[in-house]
Amino acid sequence: DSHIQYERVGADVTMKCGSMDWDAAVTWTANGTDIDESHLNGSYLILKKVDLTQSGQYSCYEGSSWHLKYQTYLRVGTPPKEPVLMCRSNNYPKGFYCSWHLPTPTYIPNSFNISVIHGTREMVCEKDVFPKNRCHIRYLQLFSTVKYKVTLTVTNALGKNSTTVTFDEFAIVKPDPPESVVAKPVPNNPRRLEVSWQNPSSWPDPESFPLKFFLRYRPLILDQWQHVELSDGTSHTITDAYAGKEYIIQVAAKDNDIGTWSDWSVAVHATPWTEEPKHLTTEAQVTETTSASTSSFMPPPTTKICDKGAVVGSGAVAVCWTAGLVLAAYGVLFI
Amino acid sequence: GDSWGIFTFLCAALCNLPALPALNCTEELGAGQSIQKTYDLTRYLEHQLRTLAGTYLNYLGPPFNEPDFNPPRLARVERVPSATVDLDLWRGLTDNARLAANYRAYSRLLCYLRALDGQAGTAELRHRLGHFCSSLQGLVLSIAGVMSSLGYPLPAGPPAPPGTPVASNDFLKKMDDFWLLKELQTWLWRSAKDFNRLKKKVPPAVVTLRLEARGF
Repeated sequence: DSHIQYERVGADVTMKCGSMDWDAAVTWTANGTDIDESHLNGSYLILKKVDLTQSGQYSCYEGSSWHLKYQTYLRVGTPPKEPVLMCRSNNYPKGFYCSWHLPTPTYIPNSFNISVIHGTREMVCEKDVFPKNRCHIRYLQLFSTVKYKVTLTVTNALGKNSTTVTFDEFAIVKPDPPESVVAKPVPNNPRRLEVSWQNPSSWPDPESFPLKFFLRYRPLILDQWQHVELSDGTSHTITDAYAGKEYIIQVAAKDNDIGTWSDWSVAVHATPWTEEPKHLTTEAQVTETTSASTSSFMPPPTTKICDKGAVVGSGAVAVCWTAGLVLAAYGVLFI
Repeated sequence: GDSWGIFTFLCAALCNLPALPALNCTEELGAGQSIQKTYDLTRYLEHQLRTLAGTYLNYLGPPFNEPDFNPPRLARVERVPSATVDLDLWRGLTDNARLAANYRAYSRLLCYLRALDGQAGTAELRHRLGHFCSSLQGLVLSIAGVMSSLGYPLPAGPPAPPGTPVASNDFLKKMDDFWLLKELQTWLWRSAKDFNRLKKKVPPAVVTLRLEARGF
């Protein structure tokens, strides 16, 4: 006859050997290993201040016959702490989703129940298959004056806990970050970078609910970002890039009028166009680009032959080698 | 070339006809710009309202100024048409219906806000309310301007407000004030979206001579 038994961390646990008398001779095992008699009080097994490592299968056998008299699975855990609940509309005006998690694990199974109340009406939040701990709701009405009240209750064998969030329809609007951010150098323009991106695919109606964007960029070697806010369009040309420096660029989105900014998009890297040297010198200058901090922003010398996009170190040498050959050949012509 | 010449002649001729004082070609050409101006006004008002509402709710005192205050809507007669609307219905509104809904709502809201102004406690509050009411009146006029430039008739003026009984006690009166501000805030959020849609549908350079509407 097998059970599951849930106990709190730090509790004292007494296990009885089924219907056996207190003074019966029994042997207890934990996960198949015999338990020392010092833990026994008669036929009862006493576990003091249990910890997580003591979870497992406990079995009780009659002394001489070695019949299995009782078996239980002990799961040591904790009652749930107050859960963390967050609701957000990344697909306005379709609806919103709520997601939650426990701040600390309980080590035993938990069940979650979510309720959404809008004014006097109770709405159903449909649980998502993936990710778990998430549900979504469709708006029935738009531009509501009444707040939404979402309560999440988490329950397990050792207790329950809950949390509530209340919000206005407009307050939780936060789009997903822009997608497909692309940054390219502009030919013949050593200080320009052309950036383009797309509306997040989760935003259902950019025509009626347009997004505005925030672009930030900096050269890799600097910590200070530069910002541009754009109320229109999904592209922008940076015109003040430092020549020859690799840039990191990100974009964020926001509904034109309501809600908050999205998280930053995936970062893209780009280096502005640089001019190919017009005069090859007789000296092949193989200068390696360094990713360590450089204090000046002067463009690299025009006699530099190697491709600036090349990787640091031996790679640069390999690329420069071919250029060096060309240079040597050219040099020979002049002898 | 020639067609522009004819057009300007027609425009001048029509604009000078005394029987049609309302027809104004420059208004027609600027329908797109007036929509933009109206949109900008709603954003400005929404911003102003944040400060005004904060001050007014503090004046009303707790629980009205608590951020989590979420009272049930009492079954009193709705004084102001609500901004709340079914999504598909909202999408399907004609330009005329969309503008008319905004016009009616703000006309009523202006009335009630003016009434509020008369009773408000501190001088600072009265000053803020007065300033806001002027801006709100500007919005009503701006919407009217857009409607007339597109040839839509203005909705009939709002019925006299005292159709609803005055709140019987102090608390209920404060509740009314709370909901008035809430409704105003929601309308301003909605209008931004309404005028966004209108912006897209009425490009700035469109000129439509609504001769039929003028009884030609």
